[in-house]
Amino acid sequence: MTAPVSEPKGRGAAWTEERGTSDEGRQRPRAARRRASGGTERAGGGTERAGEQHILERRYRRLLALYPAEHRREHADEMIGVLLASASDTGTGHAADMADLVAGAFRIRSRNAARRLRRPGTLRGAVRDRRWGDALAVVSVVAPLLLLVAALAQFNLPQAVASTASGHPYWPLSGPFSVPDWALTIGAPLVVLLAFGRLRRLGGLAALATAIGLLPAQSITSPALAFSVLLAVTAAAGLLLSRGAEHGFALIRWWGAALIGSVAILLGGFSLGGFSLSGYLASTGTYAPAVPGSYTNYAVLPPAEVTGLAGDLVIAGVVVVVALGCLLTPVGRRVLALFAIAMVPYAYIWADKLSTDLIWQRGGITSISTSAVMLYLPPALVACVIVVGTRLSRRRADTIAATG
Amino acid sequence: MQEPTFLILTALAAGAQHGYGIMTDVARISDGRVRLRAGTLYAALDRLRSDSLVECDKEEIVDGRLRRYYRITPEGTILLAAEVEHMRANVAAASFRLGLAGGPA
Repeated sequence: MTAPVSEPKGRGAAWTEERGTSDEGRQRPRAARRRASGGTERAGGGTERAGEQHILERRYRRLLALYPAEHRREHADEMIGVLLASASDTGTGHAADMADLVAGAFRIRSRNAARRLRRPGTLRGAVRDRRWGDALAVVSVVAPLLLLVAALAQFNLPQAVASTASGHPYWPLSGPFSVPDWALTIGAPLVVLLAFGRLRRLGGLAALATAIGLLPAQSITSPALAFSVLLAVTAAAGLLLSRGAEHGFALIRWWGAALIGSVAILLGGFSLGGFSLSGYLASTGTYAPAVPGSYTNYAVLPPAEVTGLAGDLVIAGVVVVVALGCLLTPVGRRVLALFAIAMVPYAYIWADKLSTDLIWQRGGITSISTSAVMLYLPPALVACVIVVGTRLSRRRADTIAATG
Repeated sequence: MQEPTFLILTALAAGAQHGYGIMTDVARISDGRVRLRAGTLYAALDRLRSDSLVECDKEEIVDGRLRRYYRITPEGTILLAAEVEHMRANVAAASFRLGLAGGPA
């Protein structure tokens, strides 16, 4: 600790004059290399040593590939010279030099990455395709709205709206309230407020926090949980990677967002109407709490009601029409691809309700079993296909631009 | 400031040096206690250059290979001087507490 302070100029400066600075300083590595490269016949075994140096240089160059291209272009030759001079000087430490090269590459790369992250608009800059940027902006409006509907479903609001709209008595507004999931209850409105209040980055982080907060809430094999988690992640991606909800509103208009929100509430109500936390006893016209392990208190829904099988068909019809509509435009197709991620677990929810409406009401018992792999692997694959596909198409475009 | 950074700036304080010159100078300054290797040296130089504490002085081709000399910038000199003052104060305080005041620091 004291050495650099207590012996500042004397030895260091004298040595620098002797070897380190400009002309004199050059003599040593050159001499070392001459020694090492077998330039002196009297040393004997020169060719052998040159061969060793060649092998060593090749090894060092291979490790230099770990460095960023720009750094490599500027410093590779210089570093090789230093490494070879150092190796021939000490005659040992090749392995340590190699390990140090790897560590140096890691340090430079991590510093560059940290610098890039600190730059404003970095994440947004990751999406270079304008159509993907627009699609993510649309997602930054729609996904928070859907997340809000999922949160309101805990309070039976979409169910009540759907029941009222269809004239079905299953979920009147005075219906029973379930215990809310606090992460979703607090997270969803917060995400909407931040996203629509032009605080897209905070909104994105809130959406990520909501997704993480949701995980311990229910069983990992719950399709409803997977739907909320993936919706929150999709909302986070939309908010963090796009210009935000303001741009999304400019693309779909405020009335488009209002329409999507209204349809989502209705469909959300229909989705949850067929099986739930308590049963409507058609015979007495009263509600009865569900008894775990028993199906006796569950309602037998009047088959003609829209929240039964007809509700399932309405949901499927609306989803298919919206998907077909999305296919018409390039941005729409990308929006569809992004929502496909969260729609995978929703498909399980819908299929479960359909089987309930088809079989259970006729005296059978059915439940589609799900696993974490079934719920999360297909969405992860969809996300991978999107990322890899966009990267490949960008590379192809770059190649065409370079050659053309 | 980390010790390798301090030693690299100290090595360059007396004049421009190339990479190998810095390595051997640092070993000499630290009495052989600190031996910089190429990976560490160039990672440190990369950081010091991006912080404008060190800059390229000149380039030469020697034995068909590029050799680049580095020099300390005025900002680097100010930072090094500030660090020396800081260390001097610490050394003085430690010496005083150990009852070595007046002795070798």
